[in-house]
Formats: sequence, C-alpha cells, structure tokens
Amino acid sequence: MELHDRLEEVFRQVFDNETLTLTDEMTATDIEGWDSVAHINLMFGIEQAFGIRFKGNELAEMKNIGELKHFLVDKGAR
Amino acid sequence: MNTARIPYSSSSATPEARGDAFRKKGQIERAIQAYLDGVTTPPTADLCLKLARSYEQIEHHAEACRWALSIVDSGDDFTAWQAGWGLFQRNALKAERPAVRSIKIALLGSYTTTQFCPVLCLAAARLGIQVGLYESQYGQYQQDIIDPKSGLYAFAPDIVVLAVHDGELHLPEFSQTPEEDVRKEVSRWTGLWQMVADRSRARIVQHNFALPCEIPIGHLATRLPGSQYMMAQAVNTRLGEAAANAVSLVDCERLSALIGKQRWCDPRYWHLSKQAVALEALPLLARHTATVIAADLGLSRKCLVLDLDNTLWGGVIAEDGLAGIKLGHGADGEAFVAFQEYLLKLKRKGIILAVCSKNNHADALQPFEKHSEMRLKMQDIALFVANWESKPDNIRTIAKTLQIGLDALVFVDDNPVEREIVRKFLPEVDVIPMPEDPSYYVRTLSQYLLLETSSLTAEDHERTDQYRARAQIKELEAAAGSIEDFYRSLRMQAIVTPFDASQLPRIAQLIGKTNQFNLTTRRHGMSQLEAFVQDARCVHLALRLRDRYTDHGLVSVMIAQRHEDVLEIDSWLMSCRVIGRTVEATMLEHLCRRAAQLGCTSLRGTYIPTQKNAMSADAYAKHGFERLDSPAGPELWTYDLRVKGPITNTFVKTVESWEIADGAP
Repeated sequence: MELHDRLEEVFRQVFDNETLTLTDEMTATDIEGWDSVAHINLMFGIEQAFGIRFKGNELAEMKNIGELKHFLVDKGAR
Repeated sequence: MNTARIPYSSSSATPEARGDAFRKKGQIERAIQAYLDGVTTPPTADLCLKLARSYEQIEHHAEACRWALSIVDSGDDFTAWQAGWGLFQRNALKAERPAVRSIKIALLGSYTTTQFCPVLCLAAARLGIQVGLYESQYGQYQQDIIDPKSGLYAFAPDIVVLAVHDGELHLPEFSQTPEEDVRKEVSRWTGLWQMVADRSRARIVQHNFALPCEIPIGHLATRLPGSQYMMAQAVNTRLGEAAANAVSLVDCERLSALIGKQRWCDPRYWHLSKQAVALEALPLLARHTATVIAADLGLSRKCLVLDLDNTLWGGVIAEDGLAGIKLGHGADGEAFVAFQEYLLKLKRKGIILAVCSKNNHADALQPFEKHSEMRLKMQDIALFVANWESKPDNIRTIAKTLQIGLDALVFVDDNPVEREIVRKFLPEVDVIPMPEDPSYYVRTLSQYLLLETSSLTAEDHERTDQYRARAQIKELEAAAGSIEDFYRSLRMQAIVTPFDASQLPRIAQLIGKTNQFNLTTRRHGMSQLEAFVQDARCVHLALRLRDRYTDHGLVSVMIAQRHEDVLEIDSWLMSCRVIGRTVEATMLEHLCRRAAQLGCTSLRGTYIPTQKNAMSADAYAKHGFERLDSPAGPELWTYDLRVKGPITNTFVKTVESWEIADGAP
C-alpha cells in the first residue's frame, strides 16, 4: 500500500470514519473531531503504523497532511 | 503461454485480501465469508475491525458487537481498541444486547484519563459489564472526593476507580523519619477512601503506584529506607494492608514491570499531554482494572475443565502407557509438572478442578493412581469424566453435577479442534487458547484473567496467617541455629522405592546427565535398567525428596548387586539440586535395610574419579566406610554391617506417602 493510503487508513481508524479522504492541503481545522485528544491518538497511531518516533516537539506540530507526509518520508517510512 | 494470475480470485491471495476486494466492490456478505476464513486464534485486531465494520454495514448489529469485543482478545493495540469502542457503542444501541451486569463507574484520575475511558469500557463490555461512566476533570480526584456537592456524589457511582500515578505521592526526596512520612501518606489515601465510603455506597478500586524507572540515587536507594523510592514501595505495601476486604487494588507496579517500565510511561506523551500511563499500556491497564471489577461483582469463573493427554502430561496414556508418557523428565516432562503445580495453586485459592477426557476410564485413572511424578491427585479433582462422549455433552454434565453455570467454566485443552467445538456449541464456556509448546502452558493460563478472586474466605485467611507465622518462626530458628537446626527446619521427607516402570525415563535421564555427585558415572541405558529391574540379585532404589518449601521430585538413584554376603554398589548418584542436605545418608540407610533383608553382612563401594565428580570423593569415608588396598584403578571401600551397624539419617523422614506437615507445599 502507498504511504498516502496507509496514512489515510490510520486517520479512518482514529476518527472512526471510513469515508475520510486525505489531501495534502488539509490541516486540523478541515477534519471534524481533530481536537487535542484526537491529535494525541493520531500521532500514536501513526507511530505504531509506520514504526517511527516523533520527537517531543514534533508531536505537537504535525497538523498539516502534506508536511506530515514529507516528515514520514524523511524518517524512512515506506 | 501467459500465466498471469487474475487478481483476487487467485488462491494465493490471503482470505483477508480477498475480503478487502469483495468489500471494495460492495459484496459485503462475500467479504464476511472471506474474512471468517482468515480468522486465527486469537484473531488479529485488523480482522476483528473489518468484520465488525462489515456486519455493521449489513445491519447485523449483534455480530458487529461480537467482533468489536473480540478486539480485546486480539492483543493490546490501543488504536484498534479505540475504534472498537466506537463501533461497539453504535451497534449495541441497535442490537439489544443483554449485558450481564450494568454498573456506574466514576473514574477519578491524577493524569489525563480521557483515553483510558473508552478502553476501560470496552474491556468491561467484553466481560459482560455495561458501564455508565463519570470522569473527573483533569487531576481533580481529591476535590471530587472532598467536596460533598461534587459531580462524583451526584452521579452516585457503584464503583470509584482511583487512576493515580507515582507523581501524586506526597513523599520527600529523602526523609529522616520515613515511617512517619509513609504513615502520613497512607492515611491521606485511606482518608479519601473513608470519605467515599461515608458519602456513597461505591466500592473503591485503587491503582497502586508504578515505581518510576529513573532513580537519581541509583541502587543506593534500596539501602535507604528514607529514600523516596523505598518509601513509595512501603506505601504500596501499607495500602494493601489497609485495603483488606474493603477496597480492591490493581497492582500497577506489577503491570508496569510486566510491560516494561520504559514502555509504561513515555516521557514525550507525559510532557505534551500528561499521559502518565503510555497509550500503548492502556489496554493492559483497562483489561486488569475490568477484571478486578468483575471479580468484585462475582463474575469470575469458578472451575477449570481439564483435558488429560498432552494437557496434563505429554503423550497419550492409552497408547504410550505409564512409562511412555512425558511427565517429570525432559523439558516437556518438567513443563507438564510445572503446569500441574500451577493448577494446584489455583485449586488452593479456591478454583475447582474437573477432568474431561476422551479415554477409557481405567486408562485415564492410571497416572493419577500410579505415576510418581503426578502432582495432581484424585482428591484434587472435583469431578472426573473420562469416556467417549462429546466434550460439550460432558461439560454440560460437569456443570450440572457441580451445580454451577456453564458461564462459570473455563475449558483447557491442547487440541484446537476440541476447543473450537466447545467454543461453538457452548459459547458460555471460556476457552483458553493453549499454545503448542507446553513450556508456555503456565504463562498462557496466567494471562487468562477471569480466575481473579476478590477475596479469600475468612478461613483461608486464617490458615494463610498461621502458615506465615510459623514459617517466620522457623526462619528465625534456622538463621540462629546450627547446620543441624537448619536441616531439621527443612522438614525433609523422602519416599524411597525400587524402580517402577513410570520412573525409568527420569532415572535414565539422571544417570545420563549427573556428573558431580556420581560415584561411578556408569551411563546405563533404558535396556540395562530394565535388566536390573528383572534381576533378583539386584537392589535398585529411587529417592524422591520433599521439604516444607518444595517437592524436588526424583533426585537420587542407587543400584547394587549382591555377591554372596556382600552388597556391592554399582551406581550411586544424586541431582545437584539437593546437594548438602544429607540425602546421601538416607540412600545408604535404605541400602543397609535391603542388605539386612538379603542377609548380606557388608557393603562395598567404588569411587571412579572423573574431571567433574571430585565433590563425591568423600561420600564413603563420611559415612564410616573403610578404604581397601587397591594400588591401581578405582578406589574400593567397604562397610562391615556386623561391626558398625546400619547407617541412619534423622534429618530426612522416610515416608510411604507424603505427610502434610505444617507449611508443607
């Protein structure tokens, strides 16, 4: 599966919404329910799914899909 | 010819991938079929979610709920649990699922508990408990308890869960008066308990304190009762004492060690959002908290229904016979013994044991009656069912005879087919997914949580207290006294018998691998051993040892041959686990008895030195043997029974069958 699809799958699980579709321009305000609690769950879900670790400060900042994908590529996620 | 495969219909695609393909095309029933083909034991979290979602799509809400709950069995994937709770809630509304119990839980936390709520509810639902939940504001557990007008009391909970962490302990970094500081902190908590008791009818479930893994003063901390680290441990201990039967504790200190303390708390998530328990540890914590609550509600299971062949011993008794089954020798044999010992401990805390085996009754009984390595005896088994009826039928009979519900039973069988049949025909019975390797039987059973008991009976308590008191006295005696006092304090018992068929594999194993206490190191094989047993001039002795702590099993072997009026030791060896306990003298005591019965007047022994058996060099001299002249070759020793009389040992009591001494296992 492509990185984009896998990321989308994590979002769908965390937000319990199977029709959710991601685009690079999306930010936290575009997705219903993306509050601070959901954000923590999302970061954790991404770490588990891709086997990577954010730094403490990165955990708080990743609120844009395009940026998130770049970051995952940089961290060596496939 | 082009052999390109048609995607998805190919047999090489996994059932899950086929299911995904069907689902994409909107063929939900076919997707479900494919997913069901791919279900493993335990199922994977992904597959549980896919099945739950598929059933939801076709409005089979009860099945959607069932698969959402199966996520609890699949493992500890927090994200899947979280999603599973959403699915379960939605579908439970439409499925009219009858919950076993419905209760109101107030969750009072000292850290961010938002993520703990849904996973706790899911774990409880898996146990048949429907939860109405109240969550205190972040870190407001004390205010909620202290203010009589708080939301907590307005909610009128049945259970109050105190989800607190070590950072909440009010203890100085170092104390000159640790007793006093610990007492103060404990009474702060018991004071909160008391307040809840006075103002509501709720039972308290308290998380005790997981000690941190970062300890600034290092190992030194363990030597200083005034260190924060040692005081925190003391608080845990005192809280347990103070709780008694009024408050339940979840042992977070053990859980954090189980998962690893570095995983239990992730500093990144602590600093960012005050998660004192990492998200990855929450399912574990939820599962255990729900189990303790279930035990308080009396929902724990009461009876283990045990298979026999390959469950209590290795092999098949009807085919392999007493001597052929694996029990007490070899890695597997030891593992089966360990499993039986674990079952005995469960029995002692009040779990009923029943047997359900496909066997001829007489065959099934044999090991219980005749195999010396069996730990479980007939009197440990409340009901023994061995016949050729189906297991579900027999299990129904067991429930009826013991007058307990099917929902009080747990089925333990190595055979996956039998497990599946029971799961299918008796869904009320819990089935343990036993692993293939018996080495992991104990661990697998220990991970099954519904054998948790809320309290021991008053009688059990008293008995436990008596044992503890006596053991303490003995330990003091032993510590203060001489080596003889120590031997006596062990209360050693031995059963010494001629070899019997069921012992031969263990005896062969001892003969094959014992190096240190082994006088002649003659490695007799099975066929030679069988010849000794047939030979009327041969004396053979096997010794089993037990003390007040442990059953050591078969640990010493002796073989001697009679030549006229001389009894000559061919082999004499002893396992290194029991060296230094005077067991050698007991072996000689029995040899003397046999010599007298046979009319022999002296014993003769041989010592053949090897690179490893120097420690047995003085075995003869120590017991009064005299060295014969033997200029070359092995040392020869002799013992004149007419002059010296029989050898005896007062430290080990020889018995026909184990005597239950105080504090005996």
